[in-house]
Amino acid sequence: MEQKIVDHLFRHQYGKMVAILIRFFGLSNIETIEDAVQDTFIKATLQWRSQIPENPEAWLTKVAKNRTIDLLRSLKAEKNRFDKVAYTVVSNHTNDIFLDHEIEDSQLRMIFVACHPSLKPKEQIAFALKTISGFNSKEIAAALLIKEETIKKRLSRAKKAIVKNKIKFEFPSANEVQQRLDRVMEIIYLTFNEGFHSTNKTKLIRKDLCGEAIRLTKLLLKKEKFRSGNLYALFALMCFHASRLDSKTNSSNEIVSLEHQDRSKWFFPLIKIGNNSMNKAMEYDVISIYHYEAAIAAEHIKAKTFENTDWNKILYWYSELYQLQPSTFTQLNMAIVNLQLNHLEVAQRILDQISIAKLEQRAYLYYGCYAEYYVKKKDIVLAISYLNKAILKTHNDLEKDYLIKRKVVLKSL
Amino acid sequence: MKDFMMIFIGADYQELGLSPEQLQDRMGKWFGWNDKMEAQGILKGGNALVPVAKRVSGPDRTITDGPFVEGKELVGGYYIVSAENAEVVVKIADDYPDYDLGGTVEIREIMVFDQ
Repeated sequence: MEQKIVDHLFRHQYGKMVAILIRFFGLSNIETIEDAVQDTFIKATLQWRSQIPENPEAWLTKVAKNRTIDLLRSLKAEKNRFDKVAYTVVSNHTNDIFLDHEIEDSQLRMIFVACHPSLKPKEQIAFALKTISGFNSKEIAAALLIKEETIKKRLSRAKKAIVKNKIKFEFPSANEVQQRLDRVMEIIYLTFNEGFHSTNKTKLIRKDLCGEAIRLTKLLLKKEKFRSGNLYALFALMCFHASRLDSKTNSSNEIVSLEHQDRSKWFFPLIKIGNNSMNKAMEYDVISIYHYEAAIAAEHIKAKTFENTDWNKILYWYSELYQLQPSTFTQLNMAIVNLQLNHLEVAQRILDQISIAKLEQRAYLYYGCYAEYYVKKKDIVLAISYLNKAILKTHNDLEKDYLIKRKVVLKSL
Repeated sequence: MKDFMMIFIGADYQELGLSPEQLQDRMGKWFGWNDKMEAQGILKGGNALVPVAKRVSGPDRTITDGPFVEGKELVGGYYIVSAENAEVVVKIADDYPDYDLGGTVEIREIMVFDQ
């Protein structure tokens, strides 16, 4: 008998189950609920070996619910209180809570909990990746290039803050929604960027992070009250980028620069979805950073070949973006575009204005850019010395390989 | 043909704190192995065991509750397969998914009692 389970079922189901069970038992029981869900997966890996249940999702949810009740009962201190609570809660909700749209509703509530202001920004992303996206602390540590211990601390602080501040499992009030949504979008975009900018050597984690960011945005877009030009633009932006995800590395998992990517391999359906979303984004009055970034991504996609790229237009979008929200990364990108346009002096002026420390783990991009500047200046010795700096600064094996190969090319010039 | 029991020791998923994705990945490997043995018609049965245990021992039938051993010594399950000899079972056990987690397969021939 051929046995097959949908890819990522467990990971996706983790977030769903945690959200449903929190709806049942309340956010104050989050720790117990997470334990119960974890126990359920272990049970499934053992029990399903010989026979997969007919409806795996329903099996998981039912077992997790019973396990939560068991765990809560065994917490002696909670006992008296829980016996009363459990029956009222369960009887009030009936089974509606397991309907698809209610599950989505619960997951959306969870997103807003993760972005609650009483959690610190760094805790928010760790918490979201854990409770909504179902990554464990080790995977989050690998994805964010942070020590696992640190992630564990952040997760535990986040949960404590939720319980201590008695955060409710509901949507923010109407006057708070937009502000909270801004943070939600930041978290989603951060997640996407962690995936897209390949700070991780395994392709799998990168794809998973990008996929999660897109999935959550889609979930938000389903609800009219959360729709905005910003959200549509963010969605478009991620679709455009994601369409290139597979061509960013070759079959031997080496980085392929934009210049050398096989443009016929870009995933057209995603580009189309991105275009539709971009059109919707333009129906709103407010223009956000996501609009400009999507416009830049679209410009790259429009170019049939690298040589056909309209760098002037891209430079224009970057300047608009910089005016709206000055950032070191935008400056760096403007320097790169100026190099493409052979505006060498402008490029150098911008590079010299950049504070490298602000680039954090992406400082190697700065040195890489300076190396290309010297290549254009035909000063190969300096170019190589900057490449060496870049190589020292990157912690990602893929990027290191890429830079080392570039160095070999330069040495042969 | 003889019957052999493959006993799986260690690699307690609970203790190892695997993520949902890793657990699903493990499960897929167990499915694959299970399917392969079924296709070959050599699989005669098997089960996973719940880690909680009780022991009854001594003339007084003293009952003790586990855990008795550490996770790495815990029997987590077994399969019974039919094969020519133990060497063939060693080959079958090559597909056991949890060696990388410190798991062990013990192979024991099931004794046949002469009539």
